[in-house]
Amino acid sequence: MPKLTIDGKEIEAPAGTNLIEAARRLGIEIPHYCYHPGLSIAGQCRLCMVEIGNNPRPQIACNIQVAEGMVVRTETAKVLATRQSIMEFHLINHPLDCPVCDQAGECWLQIYYMKHGLYEPRMMDEKVHKPKAVPLGPHVILDAERCILCSRCVRFCDEITGTGELGIFQRGDHSEIGLFPGRELSNPYSANVIDICPVGALTDRDFRFAVRVWYLETAKSICPGCSRGCNIEVHYNLRRPHHNQGRRVARLKPRYNREVNRWWICDAGRYGYKFVDDPSRLLLPARRADTQADEVVWEEIIPLVAARLSAYRPEEIGVLASPQMANEDLFLLRRLVDHLGIPNVDFRVPSRASGDEDRILIKADKNPNTRGAELIGLGPRPGGLDARGVLRAARERRIKCLWVLHHDLLLSAWPEEETREALRALDCLIFQGSNANGVSPSAHYVLPSATWVEREGTFANFEGRVQRFWKAVEPVGAALPDWEIIGRIGEALGMGPLPATAEAIFKALAAEVIAFRGLSYRELRDAGKPVASS
Amino acid sequence: MRAPAGVKVQFTGGQLQEVRRLQALYPDKRAALLPVLQLAQAAFGYISLEAEEYVAGLFDLSPAHVHEVVTFYTLFFREPKGRHVVSVCHNLTCHLLGARRVLAYLKERLGVEVGGTTPDGKVTLLSVECLCACEMAPMMQVDDRYEGHLTPELVDRILEGLG
Ligand code: SF4
Ligand code: SF4
Ligand code: FES
Repeated sequence: MPKLTIDGKEIEAPAGTNLIEAARRLGIEIPHYCYHPGLSIAGQCRLCMVEIGNNPRPQIACNIQVAEGMVVRTETAKVLATRQSIMEFHLINHPLDCPVCDQAGECWLQIYYMKHGLYEPRMMDEKVHKPKAVPLGPHVILDAERCILCSRCVRFCDEITGTGELGIFQRGDHSEIGLFPGRELSNPYSANVIDICPVGALTDRDFRFAVRVWYLETAKSICPGCSRGCNIEVHYNLRRPHHNQGRRVARLKPRYNREVNRWWICDAGRYGYKFVDDPSRLLLPARRADTQADEVVWEEIIPLVAARLSAYRPEEIGVLASPQMANEDLFLLRRLVDHLGIPNVDFRVPSRASGDEDRILIKADKNPNTRGAELIGLGPRPGGLDARGVLRAARERRIKCLWVLHHDLLLSAWPEEETREALRALDCLIFQGSNANGVSPSAHYVLPSATWVEREGTFANFEGRVQRFWKAVEPVGAALPDWEIIGRIGEALGMGPLPATAEAIFKALAAEVIAFRGLSYRELRDAGKPVASS
Repeated sequence: MRAPAGVKVQFTGGQLQEVRRLQALYPDKRAALLPVLQLAQAAFGYISLEAEEYVAGLFDLSPAHVHEVVTFYTLFFREPKGRHVVSVCHNLTCHLLGARRVLAYLKERLGVEVGGTTPDGKVTLLSVECLCACEMAPMMQVDDRYEGHLTPELVDRILEGLG
């Protein structure tokens, strides 16, 4: 490995490492716009200039790779003066409309200008004007005046999605980012260009003007949109509750994980969180007799549900777990089901819409934890019925009590009328979930769950990588994490005390389920760990 | 150069052969984009969006990238042009020696603004940067030839000579 010095510090870095990355390892940040580790090198912005050895002029760090004995200096007077000129150059035609720009607060023009700005502008000419607020597609909106022509967005569409929608048209100071006339930016990953645009040229139509970014807080999380399990950040707003119509979750952003999603997420996942602050949320536990629904407290409904579950013979009960649930929920549910000896357990409910899949990230299975449900064992017990069998048996009144967790059975691939008939025939229908759906209105007992951003836990993605997600906001109403609802019912059924935390459940899970053996909740850290290979 | 507007955007067999020959000259066939666009302009009269898409198809490029190249160069016409193109130099030497008068005279004679084409489709008038012929200032380019030391009389004669 070549050994070099950067600002007087020695470092060894693998051949092929560029100087921005080598410096980063030493904790030295070389300012840059066009360089992105996930894209090819463009050398477009010229901000990353450094001095190398005795070379007479500064050179761009992004396009120079480490070499034995190289001496790099990133903070010399010449480098600083160069940065100042480059910043001046990038701002020649910039409209300086930060007060109305959604990027303000997370804009790299602002950030670098603080340190490398000229402060006394020398420009006296009229600025070149370009199109503003041009929707490029369903998610992305362009302000061409703010663009610094770094070409990251162009390279993303060329190199990551291969769709090539964007280009830099015209030339000189009339150059501008745009689409081929008549086309739109609507590939399934389009909104990633918003994340990588270093300035306010590309902003998010969904997030625009919702909340100022400095009011946002972040929690690490996992996208629940499909079995890829992309790592994300949840950006939520509690400090300005009157903004964004009271919706707490303001946006999702990708979080780098080399093994899973690198820097990207798909648009479906990015905008798939709207159910969290939706009016359809179930807020309070409820029991229904005839057409009358009464909202009750947990202390009242838990013993009722436990009593109903013990009132039937195990063969008369069906439990439909969901691969939307976390491992901790599924593990407690499995324990409960085994405690009662219920044979009719399943988690697979085929959905009517067939899921799309591609070679980038998107998986056809739109559940985050199918693998977890498989490994923990939420399938039918020997002699038990699968989900379809349970519904058939319900129609034939052999299943009398059904506990549905999250599934909207009316959206399943099975004939809707058959499902309705099955639900009508039940003596007791328990629905547990976060939002009202096709099943909840007919349930005799409704148990409101917290959504994934309102609690913590783990999912196992399609490759068996177990990944943690953290709590961002409090559950709405009286909603509780699924594990807590299940644990309380279990407690009422004499299964022992409710575990105190998700971590405690994970510990028991790791001790009991072979695939999870050796995993520790804490040591999953940010990036997760694979289950033992089967 | 002389094809009428609205011509079908489709190379002939011979033209396609030329495209393939040009593409084979370079390690990356994309390098042949400029000569192929010139070929397209000659064949179709100007580079329409349809022509950009057609050429993109010949290179497995996205139309946006062909659009980048076409909009970068001023010598690609993105709208139908006249049978003749008259480009008056407006750079320093010509300017000092009366280019403004020449241009004004041409505008009046042709009845068009800079960038416009006469209604009969005969002449497109342009005003351009230095054509490297300061010794004959004020000068202009008429199709492929240079005309210098321009006076109104000379301009008249040149225009009359255009078919
Ligand atoms: S729009 Fe943003 S990402 Fe694209 S070239 Fe401009 S500054 Fe770069
Ligand atoms: S690919 Fe799947 S996990 Fe990743 S962001 Fe999209 S829906 Fe979410
Ligand atoms: S980051 Fe090196 S030139 Fe832009």
